[in-house]
Amino acid sequence: MSEDKHTYNVRVDWTHDRVGKLTLEGKPEITVASPPEFEGPEGIITPEDMFVAASASCLMTTFVTFTKKMRFDYESFTVDGEGTLERVEKGFQFTKIVLRTRVVVASEELVPKAERALELAGKYCLISNSLKFETIHENEVLVK
Amino acid sequence: MSYCHAQTLFPMGDDGYYMNEDSDEPRLFPVTLNWAGGKTGELLVKGKAAIKTGTPSDEGGARGHSPEDLFVASATVCYMNGFVEFVKKMRIEFESFHCEAVGKLEKVGRSFEITRIEMKAEVGIASEEIRSKISRALDLAAKYCFVGNSMKCPINHETSIFVV
Repeated sequence: MSEDKHTYNVRVDWTHDRVGKLTLEGKPEITVASPPEFEGPEGIITPEDMFVAASASCLMTTFVTFTKKMRFDYESFTVDGEGTLERVEKGFQFTKIVLRTRVVVASEELVPKAERALELAGKYCLISNSLKFETIHENEVLVK
Repeated sequence: MSYCHAQTLFPMGDDGYYMNEDSDEPRLFPVTLNWAGGKTGELLVKGKAAIKTGTPSDEGGARGHSPEDLFVASATVCYMNGFVEFVKKMRIEFESFHCEAVGKLEKVGRSFEITRIEMKAEVGIASEEIRSKISRALDLAAKYCFVGNSMKCPINHETSIFVV
């Protein structure tokens, strides 16, 4: 990142019941709601989903950045993220996010590079750095 | 896994809200993200609409949501959900809710962090009498937003209530 400060704008409009729409300029609108366990409807993206998603997608973009810096290619990248919401003193909070990542590379010699890029991505992911709790990484690099 | 009912969400405290004894089970939120070339990905939550992430390298492609967008959005939507919840609990109604939020990303030490989120919420109501209750619901929503409470950064809430 070239500059030291960036801002991000979002807008939320309530539409009905426990449902709203999320608008970000120039991007597809997302319908959002409370999750079913908190009396929201089924099948609609919730803040809890987006919270975990922010962390997972940050790991991906940071990984891509490091692979470009290290000048190597990979075949695929998939991360399964799981956030745990638990009751603490002051209501509920997320206490843990586990990111299980699988990267496929074309040859054996790329394995340590991909492992290193994943490690750095975990360390420099700005979303993980913005959370109160630690993110747990389980990385796997496979040869195609 | 047991369900946590919304009315059981909040601990007993000065505000007089209670938590149910049977809501102790942690809730898990799984997501899957598949890389889709360049810095783009497809984010999947089972049974829900996919979210495109990142910026396509080709000119003209639709921009997806960035991790920073999703982070700020998660806190904002959580605030709305909390507000709706408290309003239902108070058995009052509102006409509209609109919230704009800005997250600030700054360099902290050697890496970046979201250091602040500023929210501006506007609520439309039908009559002046419920203004103070709505104001209270907004305060409680801010206080008990569990996504916001999971973030390091302070979240500032500016609110305005108007009669439609």
